[in-house]
Amino acid sequence: MLTPIDLTAAQERSLLGRASPLVKLALALAWLVGLAFTLRAGPPALLTGVAIAAGLAFGRIPPGRLARGLAPLALVAASIALANLVFSASNANPSSAEFARIGPLRLTREAAEVAAALGARVLAIVSVGAVFAQTTDPTRLVDALVQQGRVPARFAYGALAAYQAVPRLGEDLATLRHARRIRGLGAAWHPRLLIGLLIRAIRHADQLALAMDARAFGSGPRTTFRPIAWRWTDLLVGVGGLAALGIALIR
Amino acid sequence: MTFRYLGADRPALAGIDLRLDAGGVLLVVGPSGSGKSTLTRAIAGLIPRDVPGEWSGSLRVGDLETATAAPAEVAARVGILFQDPGSQLVMDRAADDVAFGLENRAWPLAAMRARVPDALGGAGLAGFERRRGSRLSGGEQQRLALAGVEAPWPAVLVLDEPTANLDPAGATALFERLAMIKAERRTTVVLVEHRADLAWPLADLVLALDATGVPIDLGVPADVLARSGDRLAREGIWLPTDASSRAAPETFASGETLASGSGPTNGIGADLVELRQVRFEYARGNPVVRDVELGIGAGERVAVVGPNGSGKSTLLRLIAGLLRPRLGSVRLDGRDPARLPATRLAELAGYIFQDPELGFLADSVAGEITLGLDAASTARATTLLERLGLPLERFGGRSPYRLSGGEQRRLSVATALARRPRLLVLDEPTFGQDRRGWEAMAAIVAELVGEGTAVVAATHDDRFAATVARRRIEMADGWVVADDGPNRGPAASHRLVGA
Repeated sequence: MLTPIDLTAAQERSLLGRASPLVKLALALAWLVGLAFTLRAGPPALLTGVAIAAGLAFGRIPPGRLARGLAPLALVAASIALANLVFSASNANPSSAEFARIGPLRLTREAAEVAAALGARVLAIVSVGAVFAQTTDPTRLVDALVQQGRVPARFAYGALAAYQAVPRLGEDLATLRHARRIRGLGAAWHPRLLIGLLIRAIRHADQLALAMDARAFGSGPRTTFRPIAWRWTDLLVGVGGLAALGIALIR
Repeated sequence: MTFRYLGADRPALAGIDLRLDAGGVLLVVGPSGSGKSTLTRAIAGLIPRDVPGEWSGSLRVGDLETATAAPAEVAARVGILFQDPGSQLVMDRAADDVAFGLENRAWPLAAMRARVPDALGGAGLAGFERRRGSRLSGGEQQRLALAGVEAPWPAVLVLDEPTANLDPAGATALFERLAMIKAERRTTVVLVEHRADLAWPLADLVLALDATGVPIDLGVPADVLARSGDRLAREGIWLPTDASSRAAPETFASGETLASGSGPTNGIGADLVELRQVRFEYARGNPVVRDVELGIGAGERVAVVGPNGSGKSTLLRLIAGLLRPRLGSVRLDGRDPARLPATRLAELAGYIFQDPELGFLADSVAGEITLGLDAASTARATTLLERLGLPLERFGGRSPYRLSGGEQRRLSVATALARRPRLLVLDEPTFGQDRRGWEAMAAIVAELVGEGTAVVAATHDDRFAATVARRRIEMADGWVVADDGPNRGPAASHRLVGA
């Protein structure tokens, strides 16, 4: 998550790769909101399928890479579904229909439906997120937010620069833990590490702010090295995505 | 020009008076804490704008008063390069980073597209447009940062210890670029640099500051050297003559006698550290340490050299049991250090990290010294602190994070040595040190070796490797490619019974 994903040339040239990140972002949000209106398992399951198929066909994401990204999250979705199936209150309700019985455990139809719907919803959300991440370069996302979304450049590029600095904090944390161990305190987690990390974060932020300031950041009007224009493909992606959402909800 | 930081009891810079002609190169030298960095930030207009403090006098770039001018106006004329390459790259990819300063100055797109590859090429990074800054070597990162600073054609280029984090090859490449900039005579350069051998030949004018930020001398290099050379050396300033002679400083020479007089010296002792076929990788299939065979005896002093990213720091952490090898075995005093309980490990090994700040665990200097130590070790650490010029009466209550860089380094030395470890590991011990800090470090190493402690230091500092160390291990791309030590590995070494 923290290191930038290297998109292949095919991914960058694909329909989803060239579409405005803003359209993809808006679409992802629309799907999220739309899914909140249904308690059935069908619509999120369909949207999961659409997202993955679109990612492979229109985003040219290498299937293995998408699978590796999704596998741990799919496991999370499955365990959420399982927990809801087993610990549902309706299992204890004698009036609800029995679906299966494993020893003393009684599973009801209501519990199964809720579990399936929840699992499918989580799966849909993570699939959309994975396809978005696998077709969107962070720099391009910020460019689109500034140029098309009218997000202030000072905030957007500042946040991007901070995001690039996150891997350094990871290295700092490892060193802080090593320092504790070599001083005889054990490398286990300790609240003191947070203080060290916080001080480092402030130091990095200070240096970065100074460097950005020295390069005239925020000193006046600015131009852009990577112009992003609206294209007809953005309309295509937007309309297609909304249509998929509509079909999933109405069907 | 004078500047005092808010809350400081004396000015960081006092009474600086100089004039630099356009196209000239000014070298600023001085011991740690002499206000060199303050001067660079003042020229770049960042002080007093971004830093609270008391400012008096006048500092002009061309006809522009930096203290009162609009930030955009100063930034349009002055570019500044800092010492840490990683923290000044703003954008992900090289071309975007070079363009960042141009965008901020509202260059038209066509002009940017023409200038960016040009600036990259000038810095020796032609074709690097799409490369990610985070995946470049330290030397490449610094040249990329230089390309970004140079791209908008600043009239004045300010460089604040640009080679501090670079390996010798990276430093040389950066100075080759600076020589080209000087030859063009289009840009005025203000340079702060510890590497006297590289910097002095480039300078038209040298400004020497003392430890309190007061000018000692100002003039052409040859004059300054002749007039004030001795004074500069006394103040702890490196001189161009130091590097060529490669002689050990006096303090170190005396330590040397002490070392050879009392106790084991050049690795004749049993192997204290033993590495067999050690391999380590952070990411699968991408080893950073490859099949290393190594034996280090008690009282040996070893320099580990090699370019940025060659695996030096990882090797040190493997030796000290902070990382566990993926393949092979590490033995420290006969046991696997990665499996030792922390208290036992701390008795065996001390470690001084490249950035001392990451090694601090308490809120005060006194807390650092007592942390996890018994009374005897605390007493030893307290004495050590006094010798290092950080007496507890004065510094005990201070936060370790508020100390200067040199003071932080000395505190970390005291904490690492408090337990009398049998192995001391140093990561870039002389990084950014002035002459005095360097000599103190060399003297401590010599003394420890006299007591039988093995010292292993990863370093870019040729002088340290040549004069303080007695054995040189060279790494490249994770391999040990050269080792002039007596015991190149357990197989070749004469391991003693029971070792």
